[in-house]
Amino acid sequence: MAHSPLAQFTIKPLMPLEIAGYDVAFTQSAAWMLVAVVCATLLMTLSVRSKAMVPGRWQNVSEMLYELVFGIVKGNLHGEAKKYFPLIFSLFMIVLMGNLLGMIPYSFTFTSHIIVTATLALFVFIFATGLGIYKHGLHFFSFFLPAGIPWWLAPFIVIIEVISYLSRPLSLSVRLFANMTAGHTMLKVFAGFSVMLIAVTFGAVLSILPLIINVALVGLELMIAFIQAYVFAVLSCMYLKDAIELH
Amino acid sequence: MTISPEELDRKIKEAQAKQSQDTGPLTTPLGRAMPAGVAKALRAATDLTAGIVVGGALGYGLDKWLDTKPLFMILLFFAGFAAGVLNIYRAEMGQDYKVGFKPDTKDTTGNKRE
Repeated sequence: MAHSPLAQFTIKPLMPLEIAGYDVAFTQSAAWMLVAVVCATLLMTLSVRSKAMVPGRWQNVSEMLYELVFGIVKGNLHGEAKKYFPLIFSLFMIVLMGNLLGMIPYSFTFTSHIIVTATLALFVFIFATGLGIYKHGLHFFSFFLPAGIPWWLAPFIVIIEVISYLSRPLSLSVRLFANMTAGHTMLKVFAGFSVMLIAVTFGAVLSILPLIINVALVGLELMIAFIQAYVFAVLSCMYLKDAIELH
Repeated sequence: MTISPEELDRKIKEAQAKQSQDTGPLTTPLGRAMPAGVAKALRAATDLTAGIVVGGALGYGLDKWLDTKPLFMILLFFAGFAAGVLNIYRAEMGQDYKVGFKPDTKDTTGNKRE
């Protein structure tokens, strides 16, 4: 095959640019991020423009997204929910838009790049850790030693807790990146089967089979696109909650 | 087309009554489209590997720094595995990533936390 299933993830610069020796070209990845931000902003502003008491379709969509995310934030942060809602909602929308826009044929899924998801995850991680230290000072580090464990177990537990804590940004970023990459690769592989089958006997008939699977996969991918954005928001909330409340 | 608030109220009540007959308590369309189990399953795999990778990487870094190859890498690899299992255990027990073993008692909103 001329097209590898992984070819879709290649970054292509649209506008070459170099600042202080660094390649900071405006790529198609950056372009789709821009599209995602614009789409999210338009969705949330235009849809509620009429402020109808009986919401129309678009207003319903934005209200449902709002309520979904507000439910997550409220469930975790309670009284302080309003303060951190904009942060979580922005994260949720950029991930959701990235995943969903990636489902449009010929588009690019920027969430399928680990550097993008790692940046988002590290941002959450550093923000939550900074918030914890700001709120609790050095007491924050008591986080790593649960109360009521025997003294001889403490060194092991602290090491394990620290690793568990440090594994958060990794697991947060890898989960999103791996799901997106795997999903889109799978779609491309099955699409490739369809094309290759045409060459064999009865190929034109047989090539419909992978196509049917692909239709189902697109449905699955749409669900995963949504679930991943949701999981990202939920986990970000939990990290903030841990930092705020300690235990 | 305009609907008076009373009319709307009546319609919502009707729809809610119908839905609670069908599927129990009212859930949002988004809530139903998203099985909690799927989200949970997607989390478990990365949680486990993340612990191992972070543990191994930390050990590797320490070994490079202190020139003790491969002592810390082996030790922290296993500690990382323990951390990964702990991650999953906490997620499954509904304690999520909470450090320490106290069950979560503050979540009174009744929201599913998955």
